[in-house]
Amino acid sequence: MLGSKSRSFTGCNSCMLTCSFTHEGYFSFSKSRMQIEKDEERAVSIPRVCIQCKDAPCIQVCSEEALFKDKGTGAIMVDKDKCTGCKKCVKACPYGGIVFDEESSIPLICDLCGGKPSCIEVCRFPQAIKFKVKKENDEK
Amino acid sequence: MKSSYYGKILHINLSNNKIWYDILGEEEIKLYLGGRGIGAKLLWDMTDNRTDPLSKENVLIFSTGVLTGTNVPSSGRTTINFKSPLTGRYFKCSVGGGWGLRAKMVGVDHLVIHGKAKKPVYIYISVDKVEIRNASFLLRKSVKETNRILKEKIEDNSIDVACIGPAGESKVKYASIMFSIYNTAARGGSGTVMASKNLKAIVVNPNHGKVYVNDPENFYKYVKSSLEDTYNDSHSPVMYKYGTSPDNVSMFDEGLVASYNFRRQTIENSYNFTGKCQIDEGYLKRRVGCGSCIIGCHRFTVVPSGSFKGTYSEGPELETYLALGARLGITDENYLMKLNEMANDFGFDSISLGSTIAWAMESYEKGLITKKDTNGLEIKWGNGDAVIELIKMIASREGIGDLLAEGTKKASEVIGNNSEEWAVQANGLEQSGVETRAMLSYALAFALNPRGPDHLTTECLAELGKSFSPEAEKIIEKITGDKKYAVPYMTEKRADIVTWHENIYAVSDALGICAFLTTASYGIDEEKCAKLFTYATGIKISSDEIMESGRRIVTLERCYNNREGCTRENDVLPKRLMNEIAEGRVKYQPIKPVNSKEILDKMLDDYYELNGWDKKTGYPEKGTLEKLKLFFCADKIYPR
Repeated sequence: MLGSKSRSFTGCNSCMLTCSFTHEGYFSFSKSRMQIEKDEERAVSIPRVCIQCKDAPCIQVCSEEALFKDKGTGAIMVDKDKCTGCKKCVKACPYGGIVFDEESSIPLICDLCGGKPSCIEVCRFPQAIKFKVKKENDEK
Repeated sequence: MKSSYYGKILHINLSNNKIWYDILGEEEIKLYLGGRGIGAKLLWDMTDNRTDPLSKENVLIFSTGVLTGTNVPSSGRTTINFKSPLTGRYFKCSVGGGWGLRAKMVGVDHLVIHGKAKKPVYIYISVDKVEIRNASFLLRKSVKETNRILKEKIEDNSIDVACIGPAGESKVKYASIMFSIYNTAARGGSGTVMASKNLKAIVVNPNHGKVYVNDPENFYKYVKSSLEDTYNDSHSPVMYKYGTSPDNVSMFDEGLVASYNFRRQTIENSYNFTGKCQIDEGYLKRRVGCGSCIIGCHRFTVVPSGSFKGTYSEGPELETYLALGARLGITDENYLMKLNEMANDFGFDSISLGSTIAWAMESYEKGLITKKDTNGLEIKWGNGDAVIELIKMIASREGIGDLLAEGTKKASEVIGNNSEEWAVQANGLEQSGVETRAMLSYALAFALNPRGPDHLTTECLAELGKSFSPEAEKIIEKITGDKKYAVPYMTEKRADIVTWHENIYAVSDALGICAFLTTASYGIDEEKCAKLFTYATGIKISSDEIMESGRRIVTLERCYNNREGCTRENDVLPKRLMNEIAEGRVKYQPIKPVNSKEILDKMLDDYYELNGWDKKTGYPEKGTLEKLKLFFCADKIYPR
């Protein structure tokens, strides 16, 4: 999972830009799987991203079975062909970790870049985002 | 063709509310790159030596960099071009923050503000809207208040705001444009020009905006190598940890700073001016990064206790420490925080503000300004309380604040009595905190700078050699062929060092890359600039060509000032720094301790010769202009 330390975010948005670029091939805040809520005046950043939680209510609530866990990484994956864009998963996520892409009408969920998250690469000094491998027990 | 930069110019005329677009051709983009380069060309075309800087004929040009909007490290910068009301000459500011990134997302390569609105307005730009809106509810609001109110009104936290504060509205000649509450296009009166157009703020909303690059695969290859080289540079982690202020007191104690209106080169209680103090004494709350900056040298500080408890702002940056601290003899860290907050929130350039007050303090000491003039304030060295009141007076042009709002040059002309001698300005701009008597590349660069004497078109830290960083010494070796020139007190090779730095700085500003990454951390060199430009735009350019474009930009800016009537006679430093020896001999004071006319003239001759400028007039020679495809400049500066 992606662990994040709210205090360490500098607000540079490099992670969001890199996320959009590695998934879509261009830069757009709206296409980033991680969203950051900012209180500029107090320099506070609150990241919102999928943490691959145990219960995964997003999977449970999907009547189309469009969401599933990747066996290797544990990331929540979206089957674009099955997804109807109903947004139930977005509402079900207790962490606000799912972004709904109005343009393609599908949810954008952190896929951990197949196990090597690109956002980590641009956060080496502040280390606001870290990649943690979940233990076997955490998954059950 | 997909590109991170289309040369698209959004024009807004506030006199008649007309909005239209222009698009540049590929040839022009290759010549001037984008950002500051195109900004300088637009300013050349749209203004001339008859343009009054505060009239509706002046333009205010916002240019995002070619790479702004991408994840190239520290590429989120914006250049602002205008004719300066403080200097009457060419001006450019470069500013970080998140505004440029967001402006690029909604398709703004350049934004040109023409004319003057009848009533105060703000501009709102999103993917599908450009609107001129009423701003009467924002009048006299501080920078923090303006940001807060606009976010509440627009009900979208993802917007970014560029605005002026009360100093701008009072037409203080050195008012800034603040970008969010953290970043400032500070110098030369950018905010004064914005105020003269009745424009309070420009809001950008990035939602659903996109930035493409031409060749994503190759582009990302060079992004990754830029990331690696930036992370591996020895100075990068220092900047992340401590910010622009140093980690220790050596620079303050060895004579690299100017204090007491440049009479001295050291300062008492120097620990209070360090990044280490911010951390260890509990001021630092967070480190703040500009758009796509992987270093994050900005600070968010809060005063934890005492009479200024709760004071919060960005910084202080090193220059603000020097201008509102060392130059005024103020060393108490709580006062440093308070004065910094006031400068940011009123929307002042802290350098010119501090310098003007330092001049006033020396004039007070010499009896030319008295308590009668200051409404009873005792503006003695180190009196922080008096400075707080004086800043309020300047922001509202009350009493002597009205004179000080004009800047050091004008104020000293009015007061007279030889007070020009301690007005530390040249060509109308107050010198930044670099002690040019101790560093000769800086001295030459400051004399040549089209803005006036400061470090923000040419950062020459490399001349400090390995005492700055091992990479700095290598840069000097690359430029001059020998690392023995990596010392700040030699006149030899200063022309070569300054020229290279001017060129790479111009390229950085055109591409939107922070000059710290090309002239302090050395994570991005001219080769990477060329590759990133090529793969981002699809317009092929080599490293030699991109550096030639940098030289073209520098030369065009020179011609702008030549057209204004400037000659070699204007390539000077403030009088005090030419003619006076600082009190107290310290490590970095050179053997000949003064930048005498003789020393400066020698370096200028070398520079003119190297760059094909006429030694008598200081004009770029016709052949030089021909070679750089700037022949149109020759028509304006050479009599027929």
